[in-house]
Amino acid sequence: MEEESEKNPETDVAPALISVHPTHKFVSVAVGSDLRVFNLQESCVVTLADESGAHKDSIRAIRYSANGQLFVSAGDDKLVKIWATDSWRCIYSVVSEKRVSAVGISNDGMFVCFADKFGVVYVVDIEDHDVEDRVPVNKKAVPILSHYCSIITRLEFSLDGRFIVSADRDFKIRVTIFPKNPVNGAHEIQSFCLGHTEFVSCLAFVGCQDYPQGLLVSGSGDSTVRLWDHTSGSLLDTYNCGAQAELLHSNGKEEEILPAITDLCTTPDSSVVAVAIQSLPGVMLLRCNLSTRTLSVAKVVSIAGEAFIPTSIGGHLGF
Amino acid sequence: MLEHEANANANSTHSKTTGLPRKRFYRARAHSNPLSDSHFPVPISPGQVDYSVYYPQLFPSPDKFDGSKRIEFADVGCGFGGLLISLSTMFPETLMIGMELRDKVTEYVKERVVALRSSNPGQYENVSVVRTNSMKYIPNYFEKEQLTKMFFLFPDPHFKEKNHRRRVINLHLLDEYAYVLREGGIIYTITDVEELGVWMKSCLEGHPLFEAVTKEELEADAVVKLLSSATEEGQKVARNGGQTFQAVYRRIAPCVSNCEKH
Repeated sequence: MEEESEKNPETDVAPALISVHPTHKFVSVAVGSDLRVFNLQESCVVTLADESGAHKDSIRAIRYSANGQLFVSAGDDKLVKIWATDSWRCIYSVVSEKRVSAVGISNDGMFVCFADKFGVVYVVDIEDHDVEDRVPVNKKAVPILSHYCSIITRLEFSLDGRFIVSADRDFKIRVTIFPKNPVNGAHEIQSFCLGHTEFVSCLAFVGCQDYPQGLLVSGSGDSTVRLWDHTSGSLLDTYNCGAQAELLHSNGKEEEILPAITDLCTTPDSSVVAVAIQSLPGVMLLRCNLSTRTLSVAKVVSIAGEAFIPTSIGGHLGF
Repeated sequence: MLEHEANANANSTHSKTTGLPRKRFYRARAHSNPLSDSHFPVPISPGQVDYSVYYPQLFPSPDKFDGSKRIEFADVGCGFGGLLISLSTMFPETLMIGMELRDKVTEYVKERVVALRSSNPGQYENVSVVRTNSMKYIPNYFEKEQLTKMFFLFPDPHFKEKNHRRRVINLHLLDEYAYVLREGGIIYTITDVEELGVWMKSCLEGHPLFEAVTKEELEADAVVKLLSSATEEGQKVARNGGQTFQAVYRRIAPCVSNCEKH
């Protein structure tokens, strides 16, 4: 199953976002300030219970925790809402000083991280949450690391939970050791993954049972998807999707600017990376060979019909 | 080189007797906004820094660079380059670079190095300067654990509280400096602004990857004396009988058990 969404033609609306629950129970979609959740198993709309009110401005980031018990939404209204997916109640509401650009949840579900417009990453400790609370608890976030004044586009935890990876609008990817007690800051940088020549738009990890630490993949405005050894920061392979997409969907007109990669999606125990590309009304599937550490195209799935720009990709690919 | 020499001699911006560039032709504002995006080339990664541009005598062509000898000292916000010039002869075998955001000041240091190289053959080949925003691009120039010394001398004080995040020493940027410094590497800071001196010391003190260098070690370290004597800013402070505040810290190994530093 795979999902993607259309971009709203209105210019001021944030790119539509999609996120799928790890065991396919729910799918969440955010368009502008509107957040909707659909129960896939019961085929019905989920009613969200939020005593503090809905998001009041564009939502910029949504995601489920690894075990599916938590969901986080955040954006331009400077609120980070943490939801319990069993009741779909907002259990925490965290106020950020600035607009929020990215969110991450530690693999153990104990910490929620978010990044603001100044490039600062904050952590919120949520392990003590009380299921009895009816009203969202206000939590204080503490800064743990910072990209110097560059907007952070994505936060991702490594498969083994050792690292928090942050990508920014300046082409930089930083891999930082995520400490046991992150409220004192994450000061130890493991590596920088440098190679992209434009903003980094998305991050994901590929791994399998034989390779549990996995490898990092990133997509960028430079139209490439790159494969990294995140522990050393070395660039393993570069796949130029833009050139490929142009080739396959040549409509006669020569475009000077290569299309940006807008999102990436991987699934546990799969070596397939689904790639959303600005100019491609469909999805490009790349195969990552973990032993030769290379990327190659597996398939390009075109979606016929109305023209659209993929902005976000989520879900779990079954083959 | 020859072209540079010819230029230097014909150029009225250089002293006729020493061949050195004259500072009054390279006046610039005291400070520059690190948040504004200036346009200058930035290497994609440290592996792509072309050493033949900075150290032409030592690396005659870009393909001769094998990575065996790399830059070890970085003077961040090097200004007119006084410290580097002293360090160059004190550590003739070490490659060092000044990083400066202000275009004119960078040009001055470039010309100064060229002039010194031509009047002292064989010397000053290990010192160079690059125009860049070190607050943004340090990881583009240096690999992990590459540097042994970093200098932050008389940085912009940014007095206003809302501008404190522009200070070149702050808790978050120290993460990056700790990344490029190898264990045992030293970070030298000095200022004539007491408030900034207190700030820099408290940032370093609060960072888990740095520890203060002892008083005995400071006295034994010849570089410490240069902090106030070799730089143009330091000499100005000394002329005016001002006070300086220094903080010198060592990069240490991280605590294995995630223990807290307090």
